Amino acid sequence: MPGLAPARVVSLALRCYPRRWRRRHGAEAAELAALLIADGVPARSVACSYLCAAARERVTPQPGHRLAAAAAALLIAAGSLGVPLGLLSASAPASAASATHAHPTSPGARPQCAGPRARPVLAWPALAHQRTASPWAWPAHPYRADGHGEHC
Amino acid sequence: MPEDVLRRAGDASVLILTSLADGPKHGYALIQDIKEFAGLQLGPGTLYGALDRLERLGLAEALPTDERRHPYQITAAGAAALRAHLDSLERVSAVGRLRLRLGGI
Repeated sequence: MPGLAPARVVSLALRCYPRRWRRRHGAEAAELAALLIADGVPARSVACSYLCAAARERVTPQPGHRLAAAAAALLIAAGSLGVPLGLLSASAPASAASATHAHPTSPGARPQCAGPRARPVLAWPALAHQRTASPWAWPAHPYRADGHGEHC
Repeated sequence: MPEDVLRRAGDASVLILTSLADGPKHGYALIQDIKEFAGLQLGPGTLYGALDRLERLGLAEALPTDERRHPYQITAAGAAALRAHLDSLERVSAVGRLRLRLGGI
């Protein structure tokens, strides 16, 4: 950071903190930095210390924000597994589970599902290699063309 | 044996509580004191991070502002936590010294 005055360097670093932190400690932190620099501590080292701590402050979840952070993490994890948002609704897993235990005695309801190829494809291991280029897209399935695909 | 809540709080928290054990101090005084008794220069960012953590745990508290500086003081819970942590360190230290002696190192 050559060419910048020490106070400016520290002030830039302090701006990286969240607003609530600056309201509480900002003036005091700036004064402490000035005292340390006057003692001979390099401004760059003071600024680096504030920058690292500001980064930690931003990534550490605050007590009131834990639920939101957990929900966001869950959504990101679901997205990265390629699960469509439709599966997150209550009905989809139920119908997927029913396919596993479907009775072969009712072929009229699902004529295209009969035979050895009628096994369900919603098993998690199958998803890993059927994932398409987009993590949000459901893999194409031949049994879905007739409109009964949800039960296959 | 009381629970050692400072075990996971980090070295900076232990140093700060040790410094506050003989009376309230503000940030600059804390850094100077820790440098004197531990030979370690705490970064100001590390200092405020640890102070926030200690406040959240109820082990230290900020006193009313003195000009622009907040003096901090150790709480009763902080004193108990520091005592428990130092006891634990003493036990580890004693075992370590004994084993070094027994090992003839």
